[in-house]
Amino acid sequence: MSRIEIRNLVKMYGAHQALHGIDISIQPGEFCVLVGPSGCGKSTTLRMVAGLETISGGEIAIGDRVVNGLRPKERGIAMVFQNYALYPSKTVYNNMAFSLQLSRMPKPEIERRVSEVADILELTPLLERKPGALSGGQRQRVAMGRAIVRDPEVFLFDEPLSNLDAKLRGQMRAEIKRLHQRLQNTIIYVTHDQVEAMTLADRIVIMRDGRIEQQGTPDAIFHDPDTVFVAGFMGSPPMNLVECMVTPTGLRLGDSEIACQTPPGLRSGARVICGIRPDDIRPAEDLPGGATATLPVDLIEQLGTEKLVHFRAGDHAMIGKTGGRANLAEGRPHPLSFDMAHAYFFDPETEKRIR
Amino acid sequence: MIKRRFTAWALAAATALTPIAGQAAEIEWLQWFAAENTDGFYDELVADFEAQHPDITVKLVTQPFGKVRESIVTDNAIGVGSDVLGLNMPWTKEFLDIGILAPLDAYLARDDNSFATSDLVEAPIGKIDGHTWMVPLNAFPFVMHVNMELVRRAGFDAPPATWEELAAQAKAISALEDGTSGIGMPFSSQPPSNGPILTFLPLLYAHGGRIMDGTTPDFDNPKVVATLQFLMEMQDAGALAPGAASRTGGVDLEEFIAGRTGFLISPGVHSSSITSRNPDLDYALVRVPTNGEAAYRVHGWEIGIAADSDEKEAAWTFVNYLLSPEVNARAAKAANALPGNLKALDAVREGADESLVRQMEILEGDTPVEEMRQSPKAAASWSVMTEEIQAMLRGDQTPEETAAAVQARWMDLAG
Amino acid sequence: MTSTIRQMTTRGTPYLFLLPGLVILGALLSVPLYKVVEYSLYDNVIVERNPTFVGLDNYTTLLTDPGYWSAGFNTIVFTVGSVLGHMIVGIGLALLVNADIAPRARTFFRSMLVLPWIFTAVVVALNWQLLLNPFGLINYMLQWLGLTSEPLDWLGDPDLAMWSLLLISTWRGYPFIMVSFLSGLQTVPRELYEAAEIDGAGFWHKFWHVTLPQLKPVIFGVALLDLIWTFQLFPLVWLSTGGGPGRATEVLSTLTFRLAFVDFQFAQAATVAVSILIISAAFTLLYLRNESRRL
Repeated sequence: MSRIEIRNLVKMYGAHQALHGIDISIQPGEFCVLVGPSGCGKSTTLRMVAGLETISGGEIAIGDRVVNGLRPKERGIAMVFQNYALYPSKTVYNNMAFSLQLSRMPKPEIERRVSEVADILELTPLLERKPGALSGGQRQRVAMGRAIVRDPEVFLFDEPLSNLDAKLRGQMRAEIKRLHQRLQNTIIYVTHDQVEAMTLADRIVIMRDGRIEQQGTPDAIFHDPDTVFVAGFMGSPPMNLVECMVTPTGLRLGDSEIACQTPPGLRSGARVICGIRPDDIRPAEDLPGGATATLPVDLIEQLGTEKLVHFRAGDHAMIGKTGGRANLAEGRPHPLSFDMAHAYFFDPETEKRIR
Repeated sequence: MIKRRFTAWALAAATALTPIAGQAAEIEWLQWFAAENTDGFYDELVADFEAQHPDITVKLVTQPFGKVRESIVTDNAIGVGSDVLGLNMPWTKEFLDIGILAPLDAYLARDDNSFATSDLVEAPIGKIDGHTWMVPLNAFPFVMHVNMELVRRAGFDAPPATWEELAAQAKAISALEDGTSGIGMPFSSQPPSNGPILTFLPLLYAHGGRIMDGTTPDFDNPKVVATLQFLMEMQDAGALAPGAASRTGGVDLEEFIAGRTGFLISPGVHSSSITSRNPDLDYALVRVPTNGEAAYRVHGWEIGIAADSDEKEAAWTFVNYLLSPEVNARAAKAANALPGNLKALDAVREGADESLVRQMEILEGDTPVEEMRQSPKAAASWSVMTEEIQAMLRGDQTPEETAAAVQARWMDLAG
Repeated sequence: MTSTIRQMTTRGTPYLFLLPGLVILGALLSVPLYKVVEYSLYDNVIVERNPTFVGLDNYTTLLTDPGYWSAGFNTIVFTVGSVLGHMIVGIGLALLVNADIAPRARTFFRSMLVLPWIFTAVVVALNWQLLLNPFGLINYMLQWLGLTSEPLDWLGDPDLAMWSLLLISTWRGYPFIMVSFLSGLQTVPRELYEAAEIDGAGFWHKFWHVTLPQLKPVIFGVALLDLIWTFQLFPLVWLSTGGGPGRATEVLSTLTFRLAFVDFQFAQAATVAVSILIISAAFTLLYLRNESRRL
């Protein structure tokens, strides 16, 4: 268990700047997820922590040591790769034991540790197999086992679940979460999947174009987004983000008037981006007390426990929700209720939150 | 139906070719001479011949020397041999065993030849099994090429004329500085591994020795041993260039041209490459230093006719053309050699350079020796000599043992 | 019935077009093969107008000839030595030119290092003769470095000639191995090296635990192929040493050539050739089995 301090981290590829001064402070035992679209710099950051990429500027400290100049094996880290990176010619046992063998640990101790970890991960019957004879989920567990046996200060995960099918991904996600609860190690976990980020993280760091967009607990990120990008990135289906005009009584959304409280700084006639999650838009009969507007519903998507209601407000395509048993007709206007208490307002120029 | 059509085709082709077959002949001339000539002399020669004999076309087939022997044998075996063959005297016995060559006696006896048989250089036309098998296009003695600058720097003012002088001068030149040697011995195993006949035999002949007794190998005689002994003494005195066992004839020549060896024993014909490649060399050509005999190993480019040739008459017409004094003189000059027809000597002498004149003196005054023509398995015997002399120079065996070993292995080969 | 025939004709047409090529190819392969075996059963051929059938006499002669066994032994030394040399140098250079350096420099080194491949054997042999000559560059360097006190006759000393030949053969043959490995190396996932690095592996550990196992199939196939080629390699040996000094570097292929074209013992030459054929065929079968297992 170690604290990780990333201070003003910069990465240059020639003249191209990939990271623009990243600052992250991770508490001992914290599960930190770096999330963002591809190319945002999350993997680069992780690889710099691992020592697989050189550091162009700034500082990384693991525990009390600045590790900038240290080689990967000296940093007290273990890493799980996206493609598992298991040694194809070695058995599961030797894959897991390799780092211990390299560090000249006594054989009985190696055996003890590997069998212990194999037990936790239910790999014991597979120890003599080669990776080629394993399923995707089994390989994933071997890759994790290889990291765990080293008992590192820090675990690094680089999109570890992206090669698994959806069902397996869900299982493995839970397994990683349980493992963290059990081992209590500090973890940096990179993913582009916001569900993984939400479910696993103690702290989420959302990155975009080499900069941190926002960091905080999953609750804070989800319910208190600082920017349009964060608001749109987290949640599925995504938050509705529509540009509206402020009126004395609320907002003008397309041709409809939505009555609501607007932030105090906004004057009538100003343009604003209003964000509201699909959960907070319901048919009027489901949500009494919201601001209502009758708008054309053009599509209903049945998800099972609930239905997505696609409707139009002026030029904007928006999504609301209703229960899975609700009966709503497509192609007809329907009165919808907006729970404006949970609406967010953003400046259309800076895309920053207006509070 | 296909068969009938084929027959028709064949008939048509035959009909078309018949008139030509009656009048014109095409002959092939396989040789290496054109490979050693850069100014297209042989193409002109053939064109000149064809102009005089419109009914005969000559196809020049040129290969490097090292390839010609095996080509003659294999081409003959599969029935695609050339009509006129460039020959080297040491191949004679082997070729006779296989029956490759046609006897030339009947042609030589004709009275409309362009030359007199008595004017030809003697060695190649000597009879074997009662017949003459080849005629000389040209001839050159084996000589010694001398780097006079090294001789003078070593403290001498004239090239060596005797074995004794050769050994003394070679030793002194080797002692001059790093990288100079008295004389090279090209005894590499690399094909054709003929170093012994290039350097050893000329020295042996100048000592009055022979390696054949008639048609039987006779390598273990005292004169051979004495000549081997002489090589050994030069080796022990440091007079020989190091690395004899890996030195090829080509390297030997190159080293001399580059001015790093004092002496080179090789065919006189090399003088032209030496003087043209290194005009600054203070160069002299002398007879091979003697130890009692004024004898030289004679060598030349010979011509024969294939026994399997369908165009022997046309082939002889071409050979006859090559031997006429006028053409023979041109051919000799082109190779910087002496003519095979001695009637051409005067024409060659005209405007000839000093080295050629010296060769003529040797040719006219000294005794020519040619033994390889009658020796069995000549080419294979060179390898045997090469390997045994290598072992001697390495110190693995004495000259006597060397001579005996060569004799035994050679007799074994000859069966 | 009719449709079956029509189908067969339609399907057969492509093969019909292949037929002339196949016949020529088959003839080019089988006729010489048959001839060589046939020749080995006669007293002598080509130079003999009326050969006598002698059965396996030539084989008996050969197997009791110490010259044959010594050439066989030299062939093994030369083949094994060459293949090892090719492998070590080829793999080493492949690793070097696979290194992460400026792309232009990498292309430069890669093209420079395959150069030995494109020279003909004549040029290679001649160049090395000059280099290994007692007055050549190599002796000069060795003396200058104080490693030897006097020039060595690398190709003329029976104790050194085979080593020199192996040097030449290694120089000549490594590019094929290097290129094969280079393409093999590029298929090794980068993540494996990163994983090994994090596991604490240094250069040699990475080479031993990641690179070699990944290249193992390539190594085995290429080594066998190289073995087959080198086993019957002729021009380089013949042109570099001619089998000498003495018969210190005589291998089966040069023995064959010597018997055929120096001694005109074509039947004996054919017999040696058949023995080479049998051994090569065994290696080839091994190679084909290995290849089919890989597929």
